Amino acid sequence: MARRGTWLIVITLVISLILQVVPVPFEWRGFRPELVLLVLFYWVLALPQRIGVITAGLVGLSIDFLDGFAIGAAGAGASIGSLIILLNYQRIRQFDSLQQTFLIGLVLAIVLLVTQRLHGLLGYTADGLEFLYSVPVSMVLWIPIRNFLRGYRRYYEIA
Amino acid sequence: MLGLCLILLISFREQPFFQRVRLITHDAVSVFYTVAASPVTAGRAVVSFFKSHRALRDENSRLQQENFLLRGQAQRLAAVVAENSRYRDLLNSAGSLDREVMVAEIIAVTADASRHILLLDKGSSHGVVQGQPLLGAEGLIGQIIMVGESTSRAIMISDSTHAVPVQVLRSGVRGLAEGTGEIDRLMVRHIAATTDIVEGDILVTSGLGGLFPPGYPVAEVVSIENVKGSAFAAVLSRPMVKLDRGRYVMLAMDVATKLNDLGAR
Repeated sequence: MARRGTWLIVITLVISLILQVVPVPFEWRGFRPELVLLVLFYWVLALPQRIGVITAGLVGLSIDFLDGFAIGAAGAGASIGSLIILLNYQRIRQFDSLQQTFLIGLVLAIVLLVTQRLHGLLGYTADGLEFLYSVPVSMVLWIPIRNFLRGYRRYYEIA
Repeated sequence: MLGLCLILLISFREQPFFQRVRLITHDAVSVFYTVAASPVTAGRAVVSFFKSHRALRDENSRLQQENFLLRGQAQRLAAVVAENSRYRDLLNSAGSLDREVMVAEIIAVTADASRHILLLDKGSSHGVVQGQPLLGAEGLIGQIIMVGESTSRAIMISDSTHAVPVQVLRSGVRGLAEGTGEIDRLMVRHIAATTDIVEGDILVTSGLGGLFPPGYPVAEVVSIENVKGSAFAAVLSRPMVKLDRGRYVMLAMDVATKLNDLGAR
C-alpha cells in the first residue's frame, strides 16, 4: 500500500472518524450521519482497485473500537457494504445524483442492519428501528461529500 | 475479512487476551473522543472566561446560600450518622455511611446511539477500578465497565444491558431495575402484582450483589400496570438523575478499595 496518495486517503478516513464522535445533544444522537461509511464508500466507488473489502473491514473495526463493545460487528457490516458497491461500481457511477443517493442509503441501511443484528446476537439489543434514523441524514450528505472528495482526489491526483 | 470480523466478534467477548487488547485500544480511542470534543471544551472555556462580573456575583451569592443550607443539613447528618453507628454497634453490624468520592468529568457519550455509555476523564492512574458505582447529585448514574490509563468507560443504568438491584424505600420491597435503552425509563422486574408499591415510590439501591452500596436513590416509580393474567406487575420508573444532563459525575472511592481488596475483578 505504498502507492501514491495512501496517506491522503487515510487522512480523510481519520478525520471522518473524529467527526463521527463529535459530541451532539443526547436526543439527537440517533440522527448522527454515518460519515465514516460515506467517506469509505466514496473511496470504494472511486478506486475499487485499491480500496476494497479489507480496507472496509479495517475501517469498520475502527468504528467498533470507538464504540468499545462488540468488536467486529461494524467491521462485518462495512465489508458487506463495500462488497455490494464493489460488485456494482460501474453501474453506480453511471447513476445520476438522486439514484446514487438512494442506492447509498440502501447500502447504508444494509450495513446498519447487519451491525445491529450482530449486536443483537451478542445481547447488546435495543428494540425498534431507531438505528436507521441516521440513514436519511447520511443520504442528504452523500452528494456534498462525494463532490468534495472528488475534488480532493483530482487535486492530489490520487489514482 | 468477514470471517475475521466474526471471529473477532466472538473472541473479544471470551478471551482474556483480547480483553487486554481492548484496554490498550481504549486509551488510543479516547484520544479520538478528546480531540472531537475539544472545540466544545474550548468553547466552554471561552464562554466561562467572558462570563460577566454580575453573573459571577449572582452565581457566587447563590452558591453561598446553597452552601450555607447544605452545611446546616450536614450538621444534622453528622448527628444522624453518629446515632446510626451507635445503633449499628448495638446490632453488632459493621458498615460506614460516609463515603469518599472522586469527581470525574464526562468527555463524551459513545457514538452508538443504541447504547448509553459514557467516557470519563479519570482512569486507573486516578484509582478508578472496574465495577465502581457512578453517582450524580441526585442518585445513581451507572457503573464503570472499562478502565484505561487516564480515561474510563461507564455504562448508565438506562442502558438496555444494565440492571441494578433496588429496594422500595418506603416498604423495603426488593426488585431489579433494568435499563430499557430509553434515557428516562427503567423497568422494574419481578414485582408481584399484589406487592405494596405505589406511584411516586422511591427506589434505592438494595446493596444485594455487593456491587452497589446500599441506600443510593436510583429511580422514582411513575407507573404500575397490572397486566391481566400475569403474575407480575409492569412497573416503570424514572431515574432520579437526569442522565442526559450535566458534565460531572462522582465515583464512590471506598467501593474502589473494596473491589481492589477482593481482587476478584
